[in-house]
Amino acid sequence: MVIKVLAFAGSPRRGGNSETLLDWMLDAMRNESNVVVEKILLIEANINPCMGCNMCEKLNKCVQRDGMDIIHDKIIEADCIILAAPIFCMGVCSQAKALIDRAQVFRSRKYVLKLPIIPPERKGKRLGVFLSTAGQKWDYVFDAAIPSVKCFFNVIEVKERDIHYLMINGVDERGAILSHPTAYQDAKNLAREVVSNLRTRIGQ
Amino acid sequence: MKVLVLGISGSPHRHGNTEMLLDSFLSGAENQEALIEKVVLRDLNYSPCKACNACHKTGECIVNDDLNMLFNRILNVDCLAVASPIYSMGITAELKGVIDRAQYLWAKKFILKTLYFTNNHIRKHKGLFISTAGLSWDHVFDTAFPIITAFFNATGFEYYDNIIANDMDRYGGIQEHPTALKDAFSKGVEVVRAIEKLKRDL
Repeated sequence: MVIKVLAFAGSPRRGGNSETLLDWMLDAMRNESNVVVEKILLIEANINPCMGCNMCEKLNKCVQRDGMDIIHDKIIEADCIILAAPIFCMGVCSQAKALIDRAQVFRSRKYVLKLPIIPPERKGKRLGVFLSTAGQKWDYVFDAAIPSVKCFFNVIEVKERDIHYLMINGVDERGAILSHPTAYQDAKNLAREVVSNLRTRIGQ
Repeated sequence: MKVLVLGISGSPHRHGNTEMLLDSFLSGAENQEALIEKVVLRDLNYSPCKACNACHKTGECIVNDDLNMLFNRILNVDCLAVASPIYSMGITAELKGVIDRAQYLWAKKFILKTLYFTNNHIRKHKGLFISTAGLSWDHVFDTAFPIITAFFNATGFEYYDNIIANDMDRYGGIQEHPTALKDAFSKGVEVVRAIEKLKRDL
């Protein structure tokens, strides 16, 4: 069985630090057998913000017709979902927050309509990864982003203990991550760990 | 000189809990004879920050849209009330879109050093965060505070107070909350009085 990896590059800047971190991880994953990787750039994904209309609590779908229609299905199909986003003003960039807020349809399905997000046989077999970079060196610079990330993974049926984090602070200018002492190796190691973990879960 | 109060409603949901709380705050301010103004982000056209960093060289944003007008308003009022409901443990993408665009002010302050707010300016300019959340958790607003702090720092406002009410799902809306709307009104009166006094004294 093929392992499906769905990755979101949340940054508005192409080839910046968070996307580089993501690409390192995805390159390592692509080198593994039976792994299919899809990368989606949120700046090209046409995801409007959530309108807060709460219609998904009744309709079990969003009233908006946009890029989220396709992404909704891809999120369900994936075995591993990676969200990469830089920290702007102490939070994830607004492009990533729009994706997180639009996961409201999954929240309504799970908690209001009490319908399954994924088939029962796939429960507990999915993994999530949050990759992030921040210009500031403060060690608490990622703190405000994490609860929203947990929310996102929770509603799309990735358990809290199955979320992996790789967050690199103190990388500001484009390319700063290239001279970070451990980021490259950390990304490679995380890719290997996640794929091997998924193989065990799926039974390869 | 009348006190100018700007309320920014970051909810996509018109006249919902958060906007009603903001309205109550603005009524309190108006009651104290402030000039009030409300901007609803849903009605504006703007794009998120592109992280192109052009503002690090020029101090200006290369994007030309409704936020240029909004930032001009923000920088010319005495009191700024920023309102957003909590979605997925954070402020809405709409409000985050505005806050990320304040990067040009950060660049002016810290890179180009062409913008400086004196201590007296900051003391006379008060910022408030207004929010509601469906969940009852006490920590449901925690991720918003550092983001709002960063925004008030960039725009030269003292972070004066929060007007927040959680557990909306249980109350069935802000109007059923025992104190929130009244507290917001009183806070509007209180902050305008405080600014009036500082404008006289400083």
